[in-house]
Amino acid sequence: MVSPLILLPGDEIPSEYLPSTNSAPLRLGAGLRLLSQPSSNPSTPPSHVISATQSALLSTDTKRNAVSLLSTPNRRYIPTPGDLVIAQIHHSSPDYFHCMVTPQAPQAMLGQLSFEGATKKTRPMLKQGDLVYARVLSIGLGAGAEVELTCVNPATGRAEPGGLGPLTGGMVFDVSTGLAARLIKASSSSAEQQDGVAGLVVLDELGKKLEKAGGFEIAVGRNGKVWVDCANGGDSAIKATVAIGRCLSTIDEHELSPTDQRKLVTRILREMKIES
Amino acid sequence: MVGPTASLTPLSRADGSASYQCPSTGSNILGSVNAPIELPGRRDALRPEDATVEVFVKPGTAPGGVGERYVEGIIKNMLTKLILGREKGYARRGVVITLAIVGGESVGRGDSYLTLLPALLHTALLALLSASVPLSMTFSATVLAVDASGKITREPSPKEAATATSLHVFAFSSNGHLLLSESQGPFEFKTWENVHQRALAICHGTLARSSDGDVAMAEDVDGQPLEGALREVVEDKIHLDYAWKIDAP
Repeated sequence: MVSPLILLPGDEIPSEYLPSTNSAPLRLGAGLRLLSQPSSNPSTPPSHVISATQSALLSTDTKRNAVSLLSTPNRRYIPTPGDLVIAQIHHSSPDYFHCMVTPQAPQAMLGQLSFEGATKKTRPMLKQGDLVYARVLSIGLGAGAEVELTCVNPATGRAEPGGLGPLTGGMVFDVSTGLAARLIKASSSSAEQQDGVAGLVVLDELGKKLEKAGGFEIAVGRNGKVWVDCANGGDSAIKATVAIGRCLSTIDEHELSPTDQRKLVTRILREMKIES
Repeated sequence: MVGPTASLTPLSRADGSASYQCPSTGSNILGSVNAPIELPGRRDALRPEDATVEVFVKPGTAPGGVGERYVEGIIKNMLTKLILGREKGYARRGVVITLAIVGGESVGRGDSYLTLLPALLHTALLALLSASVPLSMTFSATVLAVDASGKITREPSPKEAATATSLHVFAFSSNGHLLLSESQGPFEFKTWENVHQRALAICHGTLARSSDGDVAMAEDVDGQPLEGALREVVEDKIHLDYAWKIDAP
């Protein structure tokens, strides 16, 4: 394990930080570019260097033979195809629902029929203010292009991964886009680790503590939105929802270690008088 | 020599921001960057493959005037060369840099902006880094004053700058190339050479050439080179942001 490498624009990546060469070609993530240095001797081929264009932490993935940059985390959300987002319906037109992904960006389009099993007769009737969990299908080209969302995989007609579609009940909390990406990473990898994935143990801990109170459902959107619902919570459902939101926003503001995250969960649940 | 102090991302709503204080000139600048954003109107038509860079300098006490427009032009010309406006998602979009002078002695109407220029450039660079705008390289800048006896003062206070015969601002890229040279007042070529050498030492440290031709950067009377000081600010911030990843076993 080599020490972490922080790059500034123009810095070259030393070769010892690149994944050891195997047959697969090296994949470069966003923020890295390949520059060729013409050699002084014309008979030898020009050498190549990989240099950074952003200030970021270098992260390498030896399994996929990829290098990428982890840049400043609290950025404004910019849609990228394939991202899972939580969008709010603004208004509907004959063919599309017009949704808000982030308040500062133009509205995104969600087809009236791009839901699982939707036909002209059986399609979800979403009203203004309703929430959907959707995937970014395309972002168009150039300035002022329309972002299109979908709640089905166009190839199979299924809601893949599960859970895409309208979100009913519950409550949405705003977090930074960096924390949203970490939450998605933590929930997508199933590996059981003591310290959690991406340094987050808060959801596991909340899941354990709130089991008696009926558990909870959670959906994380890359656009910095987290939807929480405690439908089986009974009397303490609202309290549990608010407690989860408070845990997430506290972790967003302060960098907390796994131990501190566990302490925070215990403290907030005690303050909210939720039995655990 | 007390180095500058800076912090990254002090503003939560801007895409990127930085605040920067230079103790010797007494300047205190707050900068924000919004990028990539949609530009109003058809301002993108001239260069459809590139991003449009806009710089605004806001003085603390007075409305902006000719002096601000002039320094905005200098900063814009320099940053346009560094920003990779053809990267994905940046073509035909705007990079808007706003620099507010929030402390220190304000520049009077019609007075020179050269004493503030390095602080403005550093703030813009740090804010661009904080917004993750793709850049081809980083830079560092400094201002030097030469008085009647030929004495060179690094980063002069407003009083020292008023008595100086000439003022010089230099910016060097992270590779050590000269990016910007702005001078004011009468001076000779020899003076410029001396000032240029001194500025390079301030930004990059004294060049100590070893026998095999390698160039090593070392500290000297000017304290830590500016390039290193800026790098440390950025590295500290990233270390803090990614503590969960770096400290993970």
